[in-house]
Amino acid sequence: MDRNQIIKWLKAPAKMGHKYSLHAIYFCTGCGIIEVPPVITARWDAERFGVIPVATPRQANLFLITGYVSVKTLKAIIRTYEQMPSPKFTVGFGSCPINGGMYWDSYNTIKRLDKYIPIDGWIAGCMPRPEAIFVAVTHLWTLIDKDMADGYKRYRSNYHLYRANQEQLFGELEWPPLFPLEDQVEQIA
Amino acid sequence: MNRSLKEKLEATFSDIKVAAPEDDRMVITTRKDAVLSVLNFLKTGGYQHLGLVSCVDWIEDNEFELVYILSAYLQDNYEYSIKEKTNIILKTRISRENPQFMTIIPVFANAEPYERELHELFGIHFEGHPRQIPLLLERDYSIPPFRKDFDTREYVKEVFDNIPVVEEKKK
Repeated sequence: MDRNQIIKWLKAPAKMGHKYSLHAIYFCTGCGIIEVPPVITARWDAERFGVIPVATPRQANLFLITGYVSVKTLKAIIRTYEQMPSPKFTVGFGSCPINGGMYWDSYNTIKRLDKYIPIDGWIAGCMPRPEAIFVAVTHLWTLIDKDMADGYKRYRSNYHLYRANQEQLFGELEWPPLFPLEDQVEQIA
Repeated sequence: MNRSLKEKLEATFSDIKVAAPEDDRMVITTRKDAVLSVLNFLKTGGYQHLGLVSCVDWIEDNEFELVYILSAYLQDNYEYSIKEKTNIILKTRISRENPQFMTIIPVFANAEPYERELHELFGIHFEGHPRQIPLLLERDYSIPPFRKDFDTREYVKEVFDNIPVVEEKKK
C-alpha cells in the first residue's frame, strides 16, 4: 500500500474502497466498445486500476457509455443506470455522447447525454485511445476524493428535471419514477 | 459477364434492359409488374440468394427505385464459376405519390425484414406483407426519415435541441 494514502484510508475507508474497486457494466453502445476488450484483457489490463467488467448492472458502479446513443438505446441506458446501486459513476466515452459528434444532425441519435442522466466525466475523441480510459479512471479517483463525482446525488435531487426531459423525448415512459416526484417539487417550491 | 443469361433474359422478357457495368455485375432494369416473374426466372436459373432489398429516392423524377440484389450459392466443388461470381442487381421504379408495391415474400421468404425496413424508413406499402410493424424506429415521424424531403437538421432543432439542459434549468 502507498504510505502517503494511509491517512486517507483512515479518514474515509468507504471512499477509498469505492475508488479502487470500480466495476464497469459491460454495456455496448456504438463503436467505442471496440476499445474495451483490449482495455480489460492482457494488452492494457484494466485490473491494474481496479476496473473489472461485470455482467449485470446490479453489481456495477461504473457506467462507460461508449459511443453514439440512439433513442432506443437511451431507454436501455436509463433503465440500466437506475438499476445500479449507489454510489455509481458515469463516464461518457467518445465525442458522440458529448454533443452528437458526427451524428450531430442525425434523426435518431440524441445529442447531449447529460440532459437525460447525470455524467461525472467525459473522454473526448473519436475514438479515444484505450489509455484515455485510464486517464479518465485516475481523474475519477481525484473526483471521488474531492466528493465531486456526485452524479448519483444530483440524479436524486434533480430527478423531476431528468424525468421531465426523458418524458419529453419518449412521450410516455413504461416504468414508474425511481424516486417520488411530488416531494421534490414541493421541496423546491 | 454471363452472356448466355443476358440473351435468355432478353429473349424471355420484353421491355427489359440488361447492362454490365463490371465483369461480375449485371444490372437489370425492368417495369414494376415484371419484377416477380423476373425474380422467379432468376431463382429457377440458380440465383437463389437474395442479398438485399434497398430503395433509392429519386426526388426530381418523383419516383422510388427499388433495388434487389441476388447472387448464387457456391456449388459443391467449391470452385467459383462465372455464375457464382456474378451479382445480379434488379432495379425497378415505382411512383412516389402512391408508394405501393407487391411483396416478393412468395419468391424469397427472407425479404420480409427488408420490406419491413423499407416500409418504416421510406413509407412504401408492400401489398401482401404479413406484418408491416415498426422494426427499428422508436418514434413517430411526420415524413418517413429516409426520404429526401425529410429535413434532419430541422428535426434535430425541433426535438433534441428543445430539451433543456438540467444544470442550467436548476438555476
